[in-house]
This record gives sequence, structure tokens and C-alpha cells, in this order.
Amino acid sequence: MAAHCLRVVAATAKINLIMTWRFFSWSGFALRFWSPLMTLGAAWVLFNTVYGGATSSAFDAAAGTPSYLSFIVIGNAFYVFVFAAAFVVGRVMFWERAMGTIEATFMTPMSRFAYMTGVMTAAGINSSVDLIAVFLIGLLFGFQIASFNAPLFLAGLLLTAFALFGIGLIANAITLSFRDRTTTANTLMTVFLVFSGIVCPVELMPNWAQMISKALPLTYGIRVIRASLFGTRVQEVFYDLAILLVLGIVLVGVGVLTLRLIERNLKKKALFSVF
Amino acid sequence: MFWRVVIAEVRKNIKQFFFSTRTVFWTLMLPLGNGLYLYFLYLPFATRSVNLEMNGSWFNLDLVGFTLIGQLLYTFYTMMLLSGASFEREREQGTLEAVLLSPASRPAVILGGALASAFNYVWFLLGIMVSWVAFVGVKIVVTDFLALFASIALSYLSLVTVGMCFESLFVYSRRGGMYATMLQEPIMFFSGLVFPLQAMPVALLSISYLIPLTFGLMSLRLTLLGGASLLDVAVPLIALIGMAWLFLAVAILLINQAERKAKVNATLTQF
Repeated sequence: MAAHCLRVVAATAKINLIMTWRFFSWSGFALRFWSPLMTLGAAWVLFNTVYGGATSSAFDAAAGTPSYLSFIVIGNAFYVFVFAAAFVVGRVMFWERAMGTIEATFMTPMSRFAYMTGVMTAAGINSSVDLIAVFLIGLLFGFQIASFNAPLFLAGLLLTAFALFGIGLIANAITLSFRDRTTTANTLMTVFLVFSGIVCPVELMPNWAQMISKALPLTYGIRVIRASLFGTRVQEVFYDLAILLVLGIVLVGVGVLTLRLIERNLKKKALFSVF
Repeated sequence: MFWRVVIAEVRKNIKQFFFSTRTVFWTLMLPLGNGLYLYFLYLPFATRSVNLEMNGSWFNLDLVGFTLIGQLLYTFYTMMLLSGASFEREREQGTLEAVLLSPASRPAVILGGALASAFNYVWFLLGIMVSWVAFVGVKIVVTDFLALFASIALSYLSLVTVGMCFESLFVYSRRGGMYATMLQEPIMFFSGLVFPLQAMPVALLSISYLIPLTFGLMSLRLTLLGGASLLDVAVPLIALIGMAWLFLAVAILLINQAERKAKVNATLTQF
């Protein structure tokens, strides 16, 4: 059974990677960095020209670093990773339906969980390329690394990817039910972008916004990634790692359950390939 | 005949836009989310106000209002930009030939598309404005209502003509939707949406002055939040009038030429 699942994961990851890179387009690749590039440019102008290179003392205390631009670069790199991963996984069923392969896919005896894990594996590989690219772009905007704690960095990245996988599973279920791919994904991404602490520490946000932040796995993931690059001790982000793990388990559990329910419902009503 | 076509196009586009309640939700979500994002971008800094310079005078604007007005006008602009892909939608639906075979005036068709996009957004704009003023406490400082009215009307007019221009331009391409998306971020940067224009590197300012949104943002922010008079915002208002005429002329020229060329080469519905 385990070997079968691994074969499904490997095959799905392979086909998804082939589909991504076979028709590689430079304009499409560049477009993925448009948004972080503009945010970095705007942050650079605000920091250097409007405020003369000075941030508030509250920012220094909350961010754990006085380097505003490094803070922003890490936030944006991480957002690009999330964007690439969550978008692909959250829309996979929609595209299966659009390509006319969804019925065939669900008729096979493969594990749905293994299939989705394969999609996530390919998305994770692709989004890691994007993550590295934004860090490289960030060097032009003054990105500096105080230290690099590789195990903590990888732990943060993997646990966030795990939680995103859960969100992707839930998004798929919503997409299949409502026959919508844009609204669900865009709403999710806007919530992540605004409330996860990408452009400012969560502690500086209004109380109501902090409450939303606490429910998002990305908030904890981004804190771990920043800690791994700013030289923060592991003990100080242990709580974030634990919360990230718990959120991941809950989200994946809910995602698997939701997807199973939706599949059963769509089969019963013969609505799989109906738009 | 001209206005009947305009009204028919407006009705058609509004019906196509509001085909589901999710569209309404998303249209509301986008400016709110992006407005908050811009506001949060300022939180790491010590001050909660923004200084804007116009004709040698300095205006101190409330930060919430600065980001809110910016985001609302930018979303309106984005809607107009995306309306530019409406001919592409006609092509996808297989109705482009039928539209162009009819004796309907081409400028009336594109004006109808642009006006529908504007209508789809305006009532959201008003709703969000009222709710932000009531609940978030945006400090509105208006001293010259004529200047405010002129700023709103001319920003609206110039952005509608930009929408018409893009609509005509994208007929030449089969990737109008992608180009519209590609243009959003640079316009966000160059228009002074995120930061005051005087902070823009000098070498890049000339790009900013090609975008009507730049002048719309200037005049609306100053008249609504800084208490500027008609004289204070005369320069951006004149620029908006000039741009509205320019974009209208270019739109009519482009659509006529595109249609003639496509008919000769029989490429109207080809992808």
C-alpha cells in the first residue's frame, strides 16, 4: 500500500513538473515576480526617501532586527513561495475538470491523498525556485543575512508547506463545489498577504487584525523563517513551530475529510464534469 | 442610435459582470484588502501622516485617508484596465464578428463597455468611503467643494477614456487579459499610489506623468484630505482634461484601424 502511494506521489509530481516546464515562458516566469518586485521598490522608496532610513522603535523591537529592507525581502520571498504552492494545489481539481480528465482521475483506484501529495511536491519544488529568485532580487534592495540556521529554515518551510497543503485540499473542495477558481484563491491570497505580517510585524497591527493573523499558519511560518535568518535562538520560536505543526495537522485533517465528502456528493449527483 | 448602443452595451456588460454574488464579494474584498496592505506598509515608520507637495505648498494628509483614497482610485483604474479585455471576451464567446457586422457605432460599443466597468465599481467606492469615514475615522478636510467635484468628475472621465483606449488597443492582441494584468503593478508603483510623488526618483518621474491615475490621485487626495482649493489643483485638473481628450482620440483611431485591418486580412475571430 505504501509503495503504491509512493508511486502515485512520484508519478503525479513528475507529470506536474513536466507540464510546468515543458512550455516554459520567460514572460510568465517574470510575471510571478512582478508583485514582490513592486512591493520591494515601494518599500525601498518609503524607507530611503520618505523616512530617511529610520523606522520606529516599536518596529525594531517587534521585528527582531533594525533592517527594515531585509524584513520586507523575507516577507515577500515567503509570500511568493506560498502563492506558488497554494495556487497550484488549490486549483488542481478545477484544471482536471477543465481538461476533461477529472472523471478518469477519480475512477482510478489510487489514493486521493497520495495524488494531492504529488501535486504539492511538484508545487513545492517550483515554488522553491521562486523563493530563491526573490532572495536574489532582494540583494539589489539591500537584503542582508545576519546568520543562517539551515535546520530551522527548512523546518519552517516544510511545516508551512504542510499547512498550505491542508489549505489547498480545502480550497479544492470549495472550487469543485462552487465551480469557481478565481474568487476562492484570490480571497485566500489577499487574506494571507494582508494579515500574515509580510510588510509589518503582526504586533504593530490593530488588535482585530492580530486576531485574524493568529489563525493563519503563514504568520507562524514567516516568523520562523525570519528567525532562521536573523540569528534568533530556536527556543524563542519553539512556540511558533509547535503552533504551525498543530495548525498543519488540523488543516490537512479537515482538508482530507472535506475532499472525501465533496467527492462522494459529486459522484452521487453525477456532477464531476459539469461546469 | 449612438446612445442606444451605449446603453445596450452598458446593460449587457453589467449583467455579465454581476452573474454571481461571488463577484460582488470579490469586488468588495479587493480594495479593502489592498487598502489595508498599503496601510500596514506604513506601520513600521514613526509618523501617521503623509506630506504632499503641490505648487510649492505642503499639505499634511491623514495616513488612513491617503492609503484609502489611493486604493479606491487605483481599484477603479484596474477595473477600467480590465474592461480593456472586453473585445477579447467577445472573441472568446464567438460574438465579435456579429458585433462588428452590425451598424452600431464602434466608439459607442467601447464607451458602453468602459461606462459599465465604471458603474460596476462606483457604488462600491461610495459604500467603502462612507464606511471608512464612519468606522475608521478618516479625517476629511474639504474647503472647496467645486474643486472636489471637479477632481472626482475629471478623474472618472479620464479613467473611462483610458479604459476605452485599452479596449481598442487590446483588439490588436490575443493576450489582452495578460497585458492588463501585467500593467497593474507598474502603474501602482509609478502613479504615486503607495508613496507621495515627490519621493519618486527624478529619472522615473516622467513615466509617472504619462499616467492619468497620477493626476487623479493628486487632485482627489488634496481636495478631499488636504483642503486644497481649485487653484491649488489646477495643474492636475488641466492634465486630466488633456489626457481624457488624448486617450479618446487614440481609442477611436485604434479601433477604426484595427477593424479595417482585420476585415481585410480576415483575422477578426482567429486566436
